Amino acid sequence: MGGPHRPFPTTRHSLIVSAASAGTMAREALDDVVAVYWKPAYKHVRIQWRRSNEEAKDLVQGFFTALIEQQILAGFDPSKARFRTYLKGCLDHFVMKQDERANRLKRGGGAIAICDFEAAEREIAGTPSVEDVFLREWQRQMFALALEDLRAYCETIGKTLQYAIFAAYDLAEAERPSYAELAAQHGVPVTNVTNYLAWARRELRRMVLLRLSSVTSGDSECMAEQRVLFGK
Amino acid sequence: MSYLPDRALDHLRDVAEAPDFSATRYRVEEEIGRGGMGTVYRAWDTQLERRVALKVLNAADRVNQEAILLAQLEHPGIAPIYDAGTLPDGRAYCAMRLIQGRRLDEFLRDEPALPARLRLFQKICEAVAFAHNRGVIHCDLKPQNIMVGEFGEVFVVDWGVARTEDSAPALSAGTPPYMAPEQSGAGAQTVDTRADIFALGQILRELMPDPPPRPLAAIARKASAADPRDRFSSAQQLAADVGRFLDGLPVSSYRDTMPERLARFCRQNQVLLLLLGAYLAVKLSLYFLAPALK
Amino acid sequence: MNKPMVGVVAGAVLGIVDGATAWFTPAVRSQIMTILMGSCVKGMVVGIICGLIARKVHSTAVGLLAGSIFGLLFAYLVALMPQPDGSHYYLQIMLPGFVLGALIGFLTQRMGAAPRAA
Repeated sequence: MGGPHRPFPTTRHSLIVSAASAGTMAREALDDVVAVYWKPAYKHVRIQWRRSNEEAKDLVQGFFTALIEQQILAGFDPSKARFRTYLKGCLDHFVMKQDERANRLKRGGGAIAICDFEAAEREIAGTPSVEDVFLREWQRQMFALALEDLRAYCETIGKTLQYAIFAAYDLAEAERPSYAELAAQHGVPVTNVTNYLAWARRELRRMVLLRLSSVTSGDSECMAEQRVLFGK
Repeated sequence: MSYLPDRALDHLRDVAEAPDFSATRYRVEEEIGRGGMGTVYRAWDTQLERRVALKVLNAADRVNQEAILLAQLEHPGIAPIYDAGTLPDGRAYCAMRLIQGRRLDEFLRDEPALPARLRLFQKICEAVAFAHNRGVIHCDLKPQNIMVGEFGEVFVVDWGVARTEDSAPALSAGTPPYMAPEQSGAGAQTVDTRADIFALGQILRELMPDPPPRPLAAIARKASAADPRDRFSSAQQLAADVGRFLDGLPVSSYRDTMPERLARFCRQNQVLLLLLGAYLAVKLSLYFLAPALK
Repeated sequence: MNKPMVGVVAGAVLGIVDGATAWFTPAVRSQIMTILMGSCVKGMVVGIICGLIARKVHSTAVGLLAGSIFGLLFAYLVALMPQPDGSHYYLQIMLPGFVLGALIGFLTQRMGAAPRAA
């Protein structure tokens, strides 16, 4: 049932570790980090630091530019902190330093072209005040990226029906349809709906773990972050 | 990329984490614990019609190791393993006996008497000693990993980071303050059964009253000495020393002072001393009252 | 050593010690050897009885009770024997005999090997 057995995702911890040891980040590693962290960083600066959208935009761009240009990651020690905690600490330090200087950093290159600040701004309007915006947004971004990965993967291997059923059920904004309704709607037996959902959820988990491995320093941090990501 | 509302996010977190046991004989009932290595569920074994504890591990290779180690350890103080396997998503699981009882730290909140606590501790030592005799080191002994059953039976659980003496060391396995100094960092190469003795010493500290009796404090101090060479060489020795304390005998880890030795002798020979005292009193009274008795 | 043997040895030793204290009573000092012998035999008899009881019943309380009763009984029998002047030392013999009997009873319970169960 549910397709071939898949082992655990191939980890990409080495990107973070090598980035830490080299002090600067490889482009590939930075793309992964920015993809996961730009939105948590932006919302964290907007809500926790109470900055205007323009200020927050500049600060976050400046922060990720500094990640490339400065030796910020040289201080990351996987035995002392998780990468997420370290990055948040660096961001807070960066914002404080900007306050002291009271001027803006020059913007960096295209590494942060993937940041859609306007979309993030629209989301903030509907975001209730939460204690740890950074953590919550990190969880949200991890799953949002994994969903994108899953959708793309399903299209690539021709399992769009599976994704459609998964999206209709697990991403339903209002009342979830019953399995029978979904089966009738897509013209498949109810057992297939169950199987498709189980498959898609397994794949989603795999995608999340793959993303997680690219922004953690090793197995032990990855397992600890899994608890935060999936834990209640 | 569309925005993921809170409701959808929470639902996805749940469904991505929930293990898929549909192809197995188990039906998950509820989550009963979550630890460093994975999650434990209470489940119903549809084939044998009994409740079991299902442990789903985050890392695929560790569960097999835990299952294999547990299968070697058939002891009344160690929860037996029934079954092991792999879920479709690659996560490994094992089915174990579902322990009906409380964790040691919860059990201690009822403040049972010291002898009862120490007898419980001896049972823990016996289970650990059995594992050590089979060459298995628990590596994460702590009150949260010890269950006390309804009838005072003790189970050492969560062998997730356990290893055999000859296997490669798991770096930084364990939980402070129960983690021996050699378990963290580079010293992990030298971890042996004495790492568990250290944890047992720390557990013993939690069982002691405040202030603790000096011999008992000395036992705990010796068990959790920073240098493994200064600790008890086996869990049996530790249990035996605690047993001697319980019997009011001198313990190997503590040298009594003369008044303490005297007090112990008097405690142990109360009746004899009382009778000898009575005999002397009778004789002296008769001697001094002799003229009056004539 | 079995329990009756413990009783015999303990009774003999304690009996001799008890008899020796007669030396402090000048009136009976001349009969010290007779007193020592008598006291020793009395102790041994109480000891063997207590030892036999200890083989059957494992209880400190029973040992104490049996020892004190038989100690008192045999001390009474000894005290019945009159002195050359016709007087009796009931209190001087029975009181220590009572306590020594209890001591012998206690020792037979605590020491010596109990017979193996059939």
